[in-house]
Amino acid sequence: MVDSTISSEELERNAEIRRLARLLGVVPDELDYLTPLAPPELRALRGQVTASLFDARGVLARMAAASRILPAGLVVTLAERVFGPMLAARIAGLLEVDRAVDIAARLPVPFLADVATELDPRRVADILGAIPPATIAAVAAELIAREEWIAMGTFYAYLPPASVRAAIGVADAPALLQIALVLEDKERLSVVLEIAGTDTLSRIAVAAEAAGLSAQLRALEVYLTPEQRAQLPA
Amino acid sequence: MESDGRAFLTRQLHDAPTPGVAGLADEHLAHLAGALCAARQRQAEELTAASEQALAHIPRLLRGPVKKIVG
Repeated sequence: MVDSTISSEELERNAEIRRLARLLGVVPDELDYLTPLAPPELRALRGQVTASLFDARGVLARMAAASRILPAGLVVTLAERVFGPMLAARIAGLLEVDRAVDIAARLPVPFLADVATELDPRRVADILGAIPPATIAAVAAELIAREEWIAMGTFYAYLPPASVRAAIGVADAPALLQIALVLEDKERLSVVLEIAGTDTLSRIAVAAEAAGLSAQLRALEVYLTPEQRAQLPA
Repeated sequence: MESDGRAFLTRQLHDAPTPGVAGLADEHLAHLAGALCAARQRQAEELTAASEQALAHIPRLLRGPVKKIVG
């Protein structure tokens, strides 16, 4: 859960440092020296680290190419039993969309949730757009149950409206609050709330009040439309 | 750990760090570069191990073509 005494910028910074720590396989505390950096600097650094890891000198691309000559069922077995979620996440973005969607449909939801925490959504946006909203909802429910707010906050920016609606449908107001506070692309917040429906923001505001996070929610006001702002308590 | 953290990080990123990152203390740049180097190393080892293990699951007929593609 989010600390009620920290600011919106700190929340964003902490989320970025945690994303970076996950990529590097270190505990976030090890990266404490990054706290003087502004969130855009941290995002740029994460982009560079991601590019470095997801390139892997072409090995990942060759793995993806090799998987094309294997039956989808066998690729599913290999993903689950041999490659695991981290390598599967690295390779996923290099597969053709139809193939990746077919493989995702055969994988169990907990494994997909594991993969989701390791993905760089920018590299799999087309795949995310083609995965049925029901699957997105199931994975979202799993991530919410695990309180993987940062993974959820990373994904919303890359989901099509039907999938955003499905993912929101499985999240209660306290969960939506946690996700909104660490949403990667805050510019997308008003669009997500628009898709979510008219009373969503009011419910999130109630959850924020109960959690002592009203000030942090209020700091997101700049990303809302005038109509949405009017829904927040004065 | 290398003494010139900035150069070490540039090599690991294959790119120059942004001005804000470059302004961090050299020991922190070196730590960041070391962490990225270790992550890439782990990933490479996992990839190698997974490739070898995967072959055991692949039908014999396809092992040759798969090996050829993976290199």
